[in-house]
Formats: sequence, structure tokens, C-alpha cells
Amino acid sequence: MGSFFNTYGFLLTSMVLAASLALSLYLPLMAGQLSLASPGFYALGGYIAAVLSTRYPAAGNTLFPLWRLLAEMLLAGLASGVLAVLVGVPALRLRGIYLALATIAFVEILRVLSLNLAITGGAVGIFGIPQPFSTQIGYLWIAGPLLLLSMLFTYRLERIRVGRAFVALREDELAADSMGISPTCYKVLAFTLGAVLAGVVGAISAHFLNTWNARQGTFDASISYLAFVLIGGSRTFVGPVVGGLVLTALPELLRALTGVSGLPPWLGQFLRDGRLIIYGALIAIGAVFFPQGLITPDLLSRWRKLQP
Amino acid sequence: MTAPSPVAAPDIVLEARGMTRRFGGLVAVDNVSFGVQRGELFGLIGPNGAGKTTLFNLITGLTPPSAGTLLHRGQVVTGLRPHRIAARGIARTFQNIRLFGELSALQNVMIAQHTQGRAGMFASLVAAPAARREERDLRERAMALLELVGLAGRANAKARNFAYGDQRRLEIARALALQPDLLLLDEPAAGMNPNEKATLTDFIRSIRAQFGLTILLIEHHVPLVMGLCDRVAVLDFGHLIALGDPAQVQNNPAVIEAYLGE
Amino acid sequence: MNLFLQQILNGLAIGSLYAIFALGYTLVFSILRVINFTHGALFALGAYATYLLTGSAVNPSGVLASLFSAFFGKPALPLALPFLVSLVLGACVAGLAGMLVERIAFKPLRDRGADPLLALVSSLGVSIVLVNLMQYLVGTEIYPFPDTVLGNLPRAINFGVPGKPVPVRTVQIVMFVVSMILVVLLTYFINATKTGKALRAVAEDTTTAYLLGINTDRLILLTFFLSGFLGGVAGTLVGLSVGINGPYFGIAYGLKGLAVIVLGGLGDIPGAVVGGFALGLAEAFVPAHYVAYKDAVAFALLFIVLLTRPQGLLGRAAVQKV
Repeated sequence: MGSFFNTYGFLLTSMVLAASLALSLYLPLMAGQLSLASPGFYALGGYIAAVLSTRYPAAGNTLFPLWRLLAEMLLAGLASGVLAVLVGVPALRLRGIYLALATIAFVEILRVLSLNLAITGGAVGIFGIPQPFSTQIGYLWIAGPLLLLSMLFTYRLERIRVGRAFVALREDELAADSMGISPTCYKVLAFTLGAVLAGVVGAISAHFLNTWNARQGTFDASISYLAFVLIGGSRTFVGPVVGGLVLTALPELLRALTGVSGLPPWLGQFLRDGRLIIYGALIAIGAVFFPQGLITPDLLSRWRKLQP
Repeated sequence: MTAPSPVAAPDIVLEARGMTRRFGGLVAVDNVSFGVQRGELFGLIGPNGAGKTTLFNLITGLTPPSAGTLLHRGQVVTGLRPHRIAARGIARTFQNIRLFGELSALQNVMIAQHTQGRAGMFASLVAAPAARREERDLRERAMALLELVGLAGRANAKARNFAYGDQRRLEIARALALQPDLLLLDEPAAGMNPNEKATLTDFIRSIRAQFGLTILLIEHHVPLVMGLCDRVAVLDFGHLIALGDPAQVQNNPAVIEAYLGE
Repeated sequence: MNLFLQQILNGLAIGSLYAIFALGYTLVFSILRVINFTHGALFALGAYATYLLTGSAVNPSGVLASLFSAFFGKPALPLALPFLVSLVLGACVAGLAGMLVERIAFKPLRDRGADPLLALVSSLGVSIVLVNLMQYLVGTEIYPFPDTVLGNLPRAINFGVPGKPVPVRTVQIVMFVVSMILVVLLTYFINATKTGKALRAVAEDTTTAYLLGINTDRLILLTFFLSGFLGGVAGTLVGLSVGINGPYFGIAYGLKGLAVIVLGGLGDIPGAVVGGFALGLAEAFVPAHYVAYKDAVAFALLFIVLLTRPQGLLGRAAVQKV
């Protein structure tokens, strides 16, 4: 068991972080807003952690203090939240695909900025980010509770007044408006909650990946997170979590398959070099054959009934 | 925005002054003025395309007026966003039912209690005692409203699976959840059989009494309006062509003309 | 003054390229109201196909090199077509791939009346497949077109007077001319032919067009072919100018293309051309000191236009129905 965790520490932590990022996309989607801005806030959070920890390194040769990681996460969340309000107020007047495009533009603008600014290390980025844990599996102690907390948060959110306002906006913005729910206020809130989560995950990821550069917050990432949500199922918070976990593990599972003995060499080679081809095909197949995603509200309620 | 107006009488709940709305070259509502008194059941009738629903949209803020002033309890509310109008106590139903279809009946009603919630987001998230109490109160009140419209037994069923008449009643329950003083009903009897219409008439009277409501209602079915309303306004091509008690309006030549000419 | 003229000429060249690339995007959007995310991949595919058809060699890091070597004795196709022929055939390959994309990623969802957002994801999946398939086949190295590909045309042409030269690379002129020919042909096709008019009818209202007896299904296929064709030409022209910079190089253009079609108004065909030139010229006038920020211009414009005029620079605001 111990060796399993050591071998797959990187993968497990990546999966958990991906599930959290998927949730960061799900939060605005709860209020009916398709935002692809998460990678922008993720990148911002990562840069905050990377800059703070490399400019002010911890004394001695010890591990990076945990409280500083937590402080960075807090700061990353705050900064992302402020930026989200500033961007969200004008941008969330847009609907559907227009909002998605505006958030893509936002991510790209941040990316070009980070490629060119001195503080972000330009195209090279920032590396040698100090490690608060001696093994990669150690990050699960931060990433795991963050995911669980976010899931609990979302679960509770769906059951309180604010969450009901989100869902009402998703179902019918005009009717929600007529029921006393301010569309702007709650859309910006949902967008900001997602941004804060993405920023916090970014701060962890910067340490986890040891290096941070402009490739972290890209359009590709936007679309991957969207795939997590839509393949997992966008109607419950369980869907994005499952989507993030499964789709992150998938390329590694395919890689593991290449080691299976008795496989023809050409197939082995294809599984190794072409596993992203299979990944893409699975995303396309998922979208076409499971339009509701893997996890649907009906499925969850059926599971609940199965339990005594 | 909400400066008090010296002119409006205190018992006028809603007053429209020269309300006008143009869409391109078309004048959907043209210089319409009227006042609705507290506790009144006020009917709005007219042929198709007369501008009745547009007038509702002007009152509830969904469509901004091109000209005119709207007063609610003596305060100018023209140009307020729909949620501000709703928060002031003007609730409505929609002609082409706009329930939150994927959500349960109970959720539909509880969403409309939005403005009554006081507990903060954090307190609600951690289910602090006060927040939990509030949530329970809101739920009980929502259930009572469902009971009132006879849907309590199906509180957890999805709204879109309800029969047409049930959906109309659920919309009324949802509007009542706003605790309004003015209720706008857009063709509440549409698609109902004579039996259901009679029940609905009684129901509207009873909620007016129970909640002390002022009700403004659009209806296509003239006999229902005539039997139910205290006063009736008639719109034709965006103009207000008659206003008075049902008997007066019924014998008004302009009204007869408008309906025969349809 | 010379610099100004040169910037204008460069802006027009790259702008014309953006225009045809964006036309491909907007054609599909006008008909289906969805964004085809494989457009960037088809762009790269067209470039590679043209490259192969001219008889140029592939890098041994891809699988294709060993396949070609096994069958033809050298890591290239056993032919050497002239550039313009290769360009058209390569674009046809991209066009056919576009038709395949429609059948795999769009039609099944359309038939089921699924959420248009899902088409975004399914086309993304196919795009990942295409890009990685190309990478598997040809590797990630830069493929510059050989210098001789344009025959014995000079490398640059002087647009100034002798003594005050305004040199413009021949490649830029080829880019502009080919793009403009395509814009003109497409405009003629859409406005003057029966099929083009049917296409516009479908873009206006799919249901009505269906009731009028227009075979929407075949028109949609045709649209995807045209879209892929335009994308493929654009990819080849960029490859000709700066080399084919790996299978992923289409993605960056794919994003810029999105900016262009929003500038012009989503689904608006003349708008895509105007948007393309607007972006090309805007980028050409980025001061040399800030040239690193050139790629942000498209997205800054996109952001500003969306917030101020979501209907695009040319479009009229749509009235929302209550």
C-alpha cells in the first residue's frame, strides 16, 4: 500500500487538484454561467505562491513552512476574488457562448501578460519553488481536505437560499429576476466563488509542480476543465468531481496498459505515444453518448433509494 | 428614484401615468394612465395584441417604458430592475408559465422567498441555529402555500411534470411566496375548463381576503372578468379605451366595437 | 512614412489570412449556431497535407517517416506537385476532414437535439484526436517549406520608389492574393448561386429551410467542407510564411479566429472579413517596443467588443423576447 502511494503520489494529487478545478467551473455553472476563466485565476494563484515563496525563501535547508503555504492559499483566494469581482461585473452581462468567449479572452490576456512581465519570470517562468512536503503524496494532506471542504461547501450551498438563487438563475433568469433575485449580484457571487477556489488550487499546484509558467493557464486548460464538468455531469457537484478524477487518471491508465505483456509491439507503441488520441476520442464519445454526463441527478437519487 | 409623490392618494396601490412603450415603429402601449386601489380586484382585458402583457412587463420592470411614470404606494418605481420591483411587493405570474421546470414544487416556492431570508451565507452554510430555524420557517411557510393551492402532496415532484392547471396554481403559490401587496395574474384561467374556472374565481377571491391583496389580472375570458373584478380596464391597440365597473364597460360602444372588430 | 506603408501592407496580408480563417469558423456558426473547435486542427492538417504533396520530406520522429521509407524508399511522398496544386489539394484534405468531423462530432448531437454546448466538447475531443494523430504521424518539429516552393519568384518585392524601398515579402503577397481570391469566390458563391442562397436560407432558419424542401443535411456537409477548405488554405499560407510550427500551432490561430468572428459578429460573413482585416491592421501597428504583447491585441479587442457591442462591430442589437 505504501509503495502504491509513493508510486502514484503525483497522479493522486493531480487527480484531486483537477477535481477541485472542475468544481471551480461548476460553481458559476450552478448559476447558469458558462465561464472558462478558471485557468486565469489558477495561474494567478500559482504566481502569487511562486513569487512569495521564491523571493522570500524559508531559512535553512528545512521544508517550506506549512503555515506559509496556507497563508499563500488565503492570499491567492483573496486576490482571485477581487479580480473576479472586477472582471465579473462587466462580463457577466453577457450570456451563453459570449460569456465563454469573454472569459477565454480574459485567460489569454493574463497568459500574454505573464509571458512578458518580469515578476512572473517571462517565458521561462518561475522554478525551484520550495517544497512544504518531502514527498509528492504529502500534498494530499492539503489538496484532499480542500477538495472535501469544497464538496461539502457545494453540497450545503445547493440547500440554502444563496444556492437556490443560483439554481433559479440557471433555470430561468427572467423568472428569477421577477422573484426578487438580483441576477448581477448572484452571477458575480457564483463567478467569484469559482475564482477563489481556482486561485487557491493554483497556490497549491505551484508548489506541487515545483515550477510555474505561462503554460499553466491556457485555453487548453479551460477546455479540459470544461470536459471534466460536462463528461462528469453538470447537474450535480458529484459529476465534476468524478469527471476531474477519472479524466486525469485516464492518460496514466492508458500508459499503464502499455506494460501489459502479450500486447503486439505496435499496439504497445500506439498506447504509449498515442494515448492523447485515445483521450480525445473518449471525450468525444462521452459527449455524444452520455450527453448528460456520467453522473446525473436521477442516477444519484436511484443510488440513494438502493441504500436501506 | 423613489421620491414620494405628493399627488398620489394613500389608498392607491399602483398608479400608471402616461405609460408608453414603443418597439421600433410599433406602439405597444400608448399613454396609458390608471390607478388601482388597495384591495381592489382590477381586470385588464382587450383583444389579442392589445398590449396587456406589455403593460404587465412595464409594471414589473421586465421592459423599460419609453415614457411615463409608475408609482407603487406613492413612490416612483419607474426604471427599477425587476428584482427591486419584486422586493417591493409586486409579484406576478406569466402568461406562458415560467416555472423552474427542473426543480421541485417546493423549491419553486422557496426560491420566491428569497427576499425574506435574513441569515448570512456563512451562517447558512454551517447551519448555525438561527439560520436553521429560518430555513425551517421558510420551508413551513412554503408548504403552507402549497397546501393552499392543493399541491402539498406533490411538493417534491418536478414542476415540469405537473399538469397544466397545476402549473398555473403552482405559479400563483410561488408569487404569493413573495408576500406581495400587489399580485399580477397574467391569464390565470387560460386552458382551464369551466369547472376549473369557477374554482379559480373562488380561489382568487379567497386569497385576496386572506392575504389582503390587491390583484391586477389579465384575462381573455370576458365573463370571468366581469363576474370577478371590481373594475375593468380595456386596452385596444395599446390605448386605454374604457375604464369602469364591469356593467359600464360592457355597454361601452368603443369596447363593443373593439371586440366585434377583432 | 515608409514604415507606415509597410505596416499597412503587412497588416493587410495577415488580415486577409485572418479573414479566410475566420470565414471558415463563421460559416459553420451561421448554420449551426455552434463553434467548431476542430477548426484550428484542420488549419494544421491543411498545412501538413500541402507540405507532403509538394514532395517534401518528413522528420524521422513521426511514424509517417518510417511508413514512407518502407513503401517509397524515402521519407516523402513519391510526387512533387506544384505549390498551388498542392495548396488546393491540401485544403481539400482539410475540407474532407471537416466533413468527417461534422458526421462524428456534430450530427449525432444535432439529431438528438442536445445542448449546443456539448458540440463544443465533442468537437474538442475530435480536435485532440486530430492534433495528436498528426503529432504521432509527423512529430513536433518545425517544417519550413523549401525555398524553392514558389519557383523562381524573388523573396521580396519593392513597393516603394528606388532609393526609398518598401520591401514586402513575396510570401505576404501570395497570402493576400490567394486569400482575396477565396473571399471573392465565396462571396460570389453565397450571393449568386442557387446552393449559396439555400445556404443562406438555412442560416436564417433551419426549420423553414427544411420545410421549403432544402436538403439541410447535405448543405451542412458542404458548409463543413468549405470551412475546412478555408482553414486548410490559411494553415498552408501561415506555414509558407513562418513554417509549420508543430501540430499545435493551429490552436493559437483557432483562438484568434474566435476573436475575429466576434469582432465581426458571430455568424456574420462580411463581418468576418472586416474583423480579420481589423485585427491584422491592429496587430501591425503595435509599437515595436510592445511587440511581445501583440498576441494580446486580439483578446483585448475581443474583450472590449464583447462588453460594449456583443453583436459585433457591424451587427445590430437583437431584441430579447420576454
